[in-house]
Amino acid sequence: MWKLQRTERLAGYGFVLPITVLFAIFVGYPILFAIYLSFTRWSGFGTPQFTGFANYTRMFNDPVAAGAFLNTIVFAVVTTIIQTAIPLFIAVLLSRVWKGLSVVIRTILFIPGIISFVVSGVLWKLIYDPNLGTLNNALKAVGLGDLAQHWLSDPALVMPSIIVVSVWAAIGMNMLIFFAGIQGVDPTYYEAAEVDGASRWQQFWYVTVPGLRVVTAIVVSLNLMNGFKVFDIIYVMTGGGPSHQSEVFGTYLYGLAFGSTAGSIPQLGYGSAFSVVVMLLCGVAVLVQITLTKRANR
Amino acid sequence: MHGNNAARNGSSFMRSQLDRRTLLKWGATGAAAAATTGLLAACAPTGSSGSGSGGKTTVRMWSWYTEQKDTLPAVIKAYEAKHPNVKIESRIFGTPDQYLPALTAAVSGGDVPEIFAPHVRAITYGEQGISADLKKEFGSSFLKDFFPSTNQEYTKNGKQYAVGWEAQTFGLFYNPDIFAAAGVDGEPETWDDLIEAAAKINATGKASVSISCNPTTSALDFFLPLITQVTDDPEYYLKLDQLEKGYAYTNKPVVDALELNDKIVKAKVFQPGTTGTSGDQSSQLFYTEGAAMLFAGSWTPQGLIQNASPEFVKKYKIMKTPAIKSGARHWTADQAGAGFAVSETSKAKDAALEFMKYLYSEDVYADLMNKSNSMPSTQSAAQRVTNPQIKLMTSWLPDGCPHIPFGAGSSAAGDPLGKIFDQKESPAAVAKEMQAAVVNARG
Amino acid sequence: MTTLTTKPPTVPFDRPTTGRGRRRMPVGKSFASLILIAAAALTIFPLIWLVLTSLREQNTVFGGPFIPTSITFDAYSKAWTSTNFGLHFLNSLWITTATVAGVVIFSALAGYAFAKLRFPFKNVIYVALLATLMMPSTSLIIPLYLQLKSFGLLNSQAGLLILYISSSAPFSMFLMRAFFQTLPDELVQAARIDGAGELAVFWRVVLPLARPGIATVIIFQFLATWNEFIYANTVLQNTDELPLQPVLFSLVGQYATDWPTLTAGLTMSIVPVILVYVWMQRQFVAGMTLGAVKN
Repeated sequence: MWKLQRTERLAGYGFVLPITVLFAIFVGYPILFAIYLSFTRWSGFGTPQFTGFANYTRMFNDPVAAGAFLNTIVFAVVTTIIQTAIPLFIAVLLSRVWKGLSVVIRTILFIPGIISFVVSGVLWKLIYDPNLGTLNNALKAVGLGDLAQHWLSDPALVMPSIIVVSVWAAIGMNMLIFFAGIQGVDPTYYEAAEVDGASRWQQFWYVTVPGLRVVTAIVVSLNLMNGFKVFDIIYVMTGGGPSHQSEVFGTYLYGLAFGSTAGSIPQLGYGSAFSVVVMLLCGVAVLVQITLTKRANR
Repeated sequence: MHGNNAARNGSSFMRSQLDRRTLLKWGATGAAAAATTGLLAACAPTGSSGSGSGGKTTVRMWSWYTEQKDTLPAVIKAYEAKHPNVKIESRIFGTPDQYLPALTAAVSGGDVPEIFAPHVRAITYGEQGISADLKKEFGSSFLKDFFPSTNQEYTKNGKQYAVGWEAQTFGLFYNPDIFAAAGVDGEPETWDDLIEAAAKINATGKASVSISCNPTTSALDFFLPLITQVTDDPEYYLKLDQLEKGYAYTNKPVVDALELNDKIVKAKVFQPGTTGTSGDQSSQLFYTEGAAMLFAGSWTPQGLIQNASPEFVKKYKIMKTPAIKSGARHWTADQAGAGFAVSETSKAKDAALEFMKYLYSEDVYADLMNKSNSMPSTQSAAQRVTNPQIKLMTSWLPDGCPHIPFGAGSSAAGDPLGKIFDQKESPAAVAKEMQAAVVNARG
Repeated sequence: MTTLTTKPPTVPFDRPTTGRGRRRMPVGKSFASLILIAAAALTIFPLIWLVLTSLREQNTVFGGPFIPTSITFDAYSKAWTSTNFGLHFLNSLWITTATVAGVVIFSALAGYAFAKLRFPFKNVIYVALLATLMMPSTSLIIPLYLQLKSFGLLNSQAGLLILYISSSAPFSMFLMRAFFQTLPDELVQAARIDGAGELAVFWRVVLPLARPGIATVIIFQFLATWNEFIYANTVLQNTDELPLQPVLFSLVGQYATDWPTLTAGLTMSIVPVILVYVWMQRQFVAGMTLGAVKN
């Protein structure tokens, strides 16, 4: 018994050794450094100047930060809900359809996820262009010209427009996970249910859905984390504009460190404070996933 | 679940054997993984190795000046042929957003490229000892040929930390066809004339002036020259930029300039959604004939040649930035947004300086600027400009005035300015916000 | 414009639109196909624009009809030569393949360990590794740069590779662990009783059953690494060593972009990823039938 435990222990440590060592050196330490920076004032050269909680106090009083915080949370929550529901729905549909069509549809739906967010952002910025974009042109062509909007420059529409793009890009990935999850449900359960006389939707409800609990928990937490961290797609489409209406933490901290908000002096310390807040938010997402998984496994 | 008792007792010897074997196996696996990675790394089809290989000095040159993307390599080749022990590594990024992380990282790592585009950080880097004092390195006779405004913008306390590469002036690019269709005669001379013309143009369903206010620093390009127009003093903003004693954004000239800006916006001179329009979008609106005019700088002709239809390229014209009243000077934004600084701490600094001198030598520089339809920063090269649009815009340099926030925190004035374009605040309130924002950003 | 609007109102369907408590009436095959085809059409529309633009003449990108009247492949040859496409494509290929290999090995090992093995501090290490997923990538640019510098790994593809593996493995580990958790513990126990050492259990018994998981990881990782841009841009200085994405993006200028060339380059760069996806799809199917044969 002891031998078994010892073997198992050694195996455990041995197996996780490579990833942990790499993590510690090339991820863990930089994260600690970034956290440290959040308590300093640093422009990228010279030594960081320790300022305690000054950056966090500044964050509380910064109106742009408040707006960015709201946008970040709204973006993460809304995209998570949509990006969990739709791919699940589609994955279910896919499992009902002829196999050849299923593969083609899966590949097509996956393609938006293949292009990097930067490219997607550039593409959609063009589509949304109020004067040249295909969206407004298409609306005009079918006589709905009144619905043509300034999708990315109207403060009320900019976040929803961006959310559409995020959903478009994320469907494929999330659907893939759900699809794998559905396939992973043991067919014998379905057979047993059918023998018991369950209808198709009863099978779905009592076999598929419970089997997907863990996968759903994963998808939810991943989408939440990606939502909290979002950067490329928004930055490329609007740069956080107009006038910070689409600013999120990811874009704001980038601007502070490298962009025009920085002006002539990068503010790496202040920017790091935002990344710490994002990290805390993501920590919440991880807790959500762990809780949901525990409940599912009960 | 737990091991079978019999198996456990009877085969403990077996288990210890397995331990050693499995340990060896894990070790082998781990080593294999590491070795594979290492092997792959060694077999990487890497390009040329780092600097100093084979006795060559490497001079790195980083910028986002895509205008010379196709024409610079030939110049570099010619130089390398003459100087076989120097290698110039030119890296042209696409946009400042792609460039600045790399530059910021290089600076923080203490390994600054020999020649680099300083963006708005020229002076702050200079004061930190990152970019060299070119007045000392090049001497005043070399710098004399440059347009004064391009030297001034990079100078503080008698030291100059960069030289202008592409100078620029701003103007109103316009579409004569739309003017004719709207019944607009000739070129508006003053802002009031422009407002009048805009009313006529808007009536035909087109936007009048296409402008980019995203990011808000582009809006500053429009607004800051208005301060010079109000004061007739191009030095005013230079001092305001550095927040010198007695200069604040709440001063009367600034508020007057804001009110003028406000008046222009109120008259619907600009397209809707300016704060959501990026630079390339504003240009697109112009060359797809959605707007009669485009407020932009002299980098535009090159972009139009690349993207607009040949017919459009033939027909568009350029006019001066309107003046504040009839007969007044057409003060126009004119600093060099594109410049080059030299790393103070690099070992290859001297080689870099040599190359810079070559690059700016009259024949090489004028030829390069002409081939890329760009505005040179030196007077000798300016006289040899062939592109008619560039020539025209170069002739406006004597009326040039500052528009780039080089000072610490100055670019923070952009966000409050955006409220004028969004018509969300009164000029007086915006002035106060600008002052507060800049002071705040200075820290 | 979004898939949300593809549900036709005439279907006898009452579905709550919130998250998980979803009811579904028996959905016919043809109805499902209809919706899927519509969704696919809307989804692929921007990409059709992408490919069409790569075929347009230089100055007709805007202001022309959606389907270009004249087609030219000039942009493709321009993209190939002006960006030295071949070299950077190969760079991307080797860096991405090596990253995927490293990530799959390390994440499978660790994922299995976290899922099936017992050892002290297991959860502490696991949560620490998860921290990798919680930081916005842009905030780590400078710290990572400095760390690579202190190890002398800057400006080398090997350094970038190590960076990629280190920062991507935890996510893949997360996925692999989830997959391994769906496998029954009895499997591992039985193998141990049969006398297999831990590594053998992993290698010969558990791993073959994790094909869908590995296929998923391969797809995710290939994609993520192939498209990565900002770290490659910052860590590598020698332009010859750059992978494809940074080079393609230098075509996006601040004021003017060469759209046909850019879209041509992007279209060409998408091909390998699609190939990997299609190839991995087959692994999925193979894995699924294997997964069904348990016990």
